[in-house]
Amino acid sequence: MASSAAPKKDLVDPIFRAVAFSAATMLLITLGGLIISLIIGGWPALSKFGFSFFTSTTWNPVTEVFGAAGPITGTLITAVLSLAIALPIAIFIAVFLTQFCPKIIAQPISTAIELLAGIPSIVYGMWGLFVFAPWFARTIQLPIITSIPADSFWGKLFAGVPNGANIFTASIILAIMILPYMAAVFRELFRSIPPQVREAAFGLGCTPFEVVSTVLIPYVKKGMVGVVMLGFGRALGETMAVTFIIGNAHGFPNSLFSSGSTLASTIANEFAEATSEMHLASLIALGLVLFLITFTVLAIARALLSSQRY
Amino acid sequence: MSDSSVAPNTQPETPADVQADARFESIIVPPPADSLVMEVRDLNFFYGPNQSLFDVNMPIQKSGITALIGPSGCGKSTLLRTMNRIYDLYPGQRAQGEILLDGENILSPKLDVTALRARVGMVFQKPTPFPMSIYDNVAFGVRLYHKKTKAEMDEVVEKALRRAALWDEVKDKLTKSGLSLSGGQQQRLCVARGIAVEPEVLLLDEPASALDPISTAKLEDTLEELKRDITIVIVTHNLQQAARLSDYTGFMFLGKMIEFGPTEELFVRPKAGKTADYIGGRFG
Amino acid sequence: MEIAFTRAQRRKLASQIFVGVCVAAAGIALIALGLIMFSLFTKGFSGIDTMVFTHDTPGPDSHGGLRNAIVGSIMMCTLAMMIAVFIGVLAGTWLAEIGGDSKYGHAVRFLNDVLLSAPSILIGLFIYEMMVRPMHGFSGWAGAVALGVLATPVVTRTTEDILNLQPNALREAGMALGASQWVTVRKIIWKAASAGLLTGGLLGFARISGETAPILFTSLNNQFFSTDMSQPIASLPVVIYQFAMSPFDIWQELAWAGALLITATVLAINILGRWVARDKDHR
Repeated sequence: MASSAAPKKDLVDPIFRAVAFSAATMLLITLGGLIISLIIGGWPALSKFGFSFFTSTTWNPVTEVFGAAGPITGTLITAVLSLAIALPIAIFIAVFLTQFCPKIIAQPISTAIELLAGIPSIVYGMWGLFVFAPWFARTIQLPIITSIPADSFWGKLFAGVPNGANIFTASIILAIMILPYMAAVFRELFRSIPPQVREAAFGLGCTPFEVVSTVLIPYVKKGMVGVVMLGFGRALGETMAVTFIIGNAHGFPNSLFSSGSTLASTIANEFAEATSEMHLASLIALGLVLFLITFTVLAIARALLSSQRY
Repeated sequence: MSDSSVAPNTQPETPADVQADARFESIIVPPPADSLVMEVRDLNFFYGPNQSLFDVNMPIQKSGITALIGPSGCGKSTLLRTMNRIYDLYPGQRAQGEILLDGENILSPKLDVTALRARVGMVFQKPTPFPMSIYDNVAFGVRLYHKKTKAEMDEVVEKALRRAALWDEVKDKLTKSGLSLSGGQQQRLCVARGIAVEPEVLLLDEPASALDPISTAKLEDTLEELKRDITIVIVTHNLQQAARLSDYTGFMFLGKMIEFGPTEELFVRPKAGKTADYIGGRFG
Repeated sequence: MEIAFTRAQRRKLASQIFVGVCVAAAGIALIALGLIMFSLFTKGFSGIDTMVFTHDTPGPDSHGGLRNAIVGSIMMCTLAMMIAVFIGVLAGTWLAEIGGDSKYGHAVRFLNDVLLSAPSILIGLFIYEMMVRPMHGFSGWAGAVALGVLATPVVTRTTEDILNLQPNALREAGMALGASQWVTVRKIIWKAASAGLLTGGLLGFARISGETAPILFTSLNNQFFSTDMSQPIASLPVVIYQFAMSPFDIWQELAWAGALLITATVLAINILGRWVARDKDHR
């Protein structure tokens, strides 16, 4: 690190450092302020409902009784589902781009996938609601509902209004959204593997599949878990696209094809119209819950990603 | 930072005097014809548009050590990397000519490279243990080709580690990660992994360049042991190492095989002026 | 020998299937991109005419444009980027050049990463608590600050990364001439890194210009043309959200036009940012 070589009379450097330091500290203050404002804003709801805020599925602005169990479950289910869909695809894409794809094709495909990441979330929401959901309802949901007895296990799992706005379609849209992020980070991970390791595996006579599955993937295992958590964190907090398509029904989702809500979608949907203090406080408390969940996930992700060193 | 841009080896510039010299001929004193296991014939190699090997010929004696020497960028590593087609991984690199392994041309596009690499193993400049236990590192290659019981595999692993002179140092920690070993041990682990599949030929690309003198000596002992059943081709920067270890030596310069012959001959009575200059330390 | 043969065949087949699956995965991503772009163009392109840029958002079931929303978005995003670049470049510089190796530096870097990936709607809640509630009203200022808070960690992160790429010899050469650290950073390091910094700024801009969640309840919306930042102000994302969710065909059509407009802008800025970075590399 460069040390002070300036003459003593020069006050420029100390000022520069102080200003830069304040800017860095601003970030700290921002995050601190974020947490404190969420705690203060949500406190009335948390103190009134206590622990039942996390376990109750009642969400009634009229009687002013609020419980977050519905949105919490919805958030976790959609995030896990979308991760389950996006994870294998993202890995395959990254493997394709780094291992099998000629360089001339890899560049445009990488760019296309980065563009997918750049599309605003609200556009995903509109596409999901107006294009994907109707298609899904027609070609997948209806046939399933009509061909499976409603009182069987599968019938219950797939029960729901066939309009395509439900937890499952929300998860698919979420999966498309987190896919490019995860693919991009996976790609960087695979690129970080020294080429000699790959050559050594090929040198023993491994097929491409064996090189990837038994050598390369174990090589970046920790980092991959980090990427998974990163994708999970994104899926947990994604707001607009989900708000469009999840159906915004409170309460506990009782099937894969039923409408639901997430923490973020509930806030987005109701905040501007919330009139009572308790309603506002409950929504901010939802935000606090969301923050705590994503913070934990992201902290784990960062720790795993930064420990990926060889 | 894409994969193909990290392909090793610099492309040597080829000064006009050597390239334009159409009368240039390698001086080659081959081993007895019936002792050959591999033979490189009129090999030309290209990195995209740049040619880096020019009509290289090299006979390789069975159960001996053949060393390749020459200044950086002379093409010795490139030559080695053609011998098990590892260059195949990088689009844009291609070889012309013939490399015969037991009479079969391994450069043929029809050849199954996976099977070839089981017969011609390779150890790299930097140790490349895989992210798994010491035991699994050695068993790794064997598992690709054979189904073995636990007892059989134990035997294979022990034998390979013994032959690589690593057994005594690791026998109590076979389940530890291969990455936990020291650099020299890692390199001998890679040798063990390479010989566990019982290849006919083992290629080593400057295997000692990242090792300290003691580890280097141990590795050289290992190679001396191995050469009884495995043919070894080693690229080295270190002339003493080549002189100590090898039975035959090839001297390369600017992508050409300048001189090839029995090691003693080549070091004591080099026939080409360039060889004499290099060995005498006048360049390199 | 025969067993070994079938084994080799099996291995080869498994590998071919695997490569096929990888190609298919890339295909899925490309198809998704293609389908979304196709819908955007077919549904949005017809809605884009001069009225979009000359008229303000209409009342229910009548014709109009998006002028007020476009202007509002540009104002808020520009102001947000001014905040983000000022704080982000300084904070990134501090991390890269001054205190990044200290314990405090590590803490700042970690928390910046947390802020970077925190759900954007939480930033909206934060600014609501900090500005909207105390000032008793939604405002363009609040929206701009919310977007600024969102972009700052992006700028900080890219600044630090880019500055770390600059060779140490540059710093030493500057110091050896007797220049102060401030002069070295400003005249040499920032200059050498200018293309990367610009790219960081552009990517930050692209990120916030499509964001909806943080401005939903900070700047709210305004049906009329307004440049008064102390009042609620219209913005493209919020208008798109409101119109898309409405039952009126005209509104929905305008929402698609807006969505096309905003996607095209974001992608154009993204490509421009990459191009700036790449162009510099090649020189």
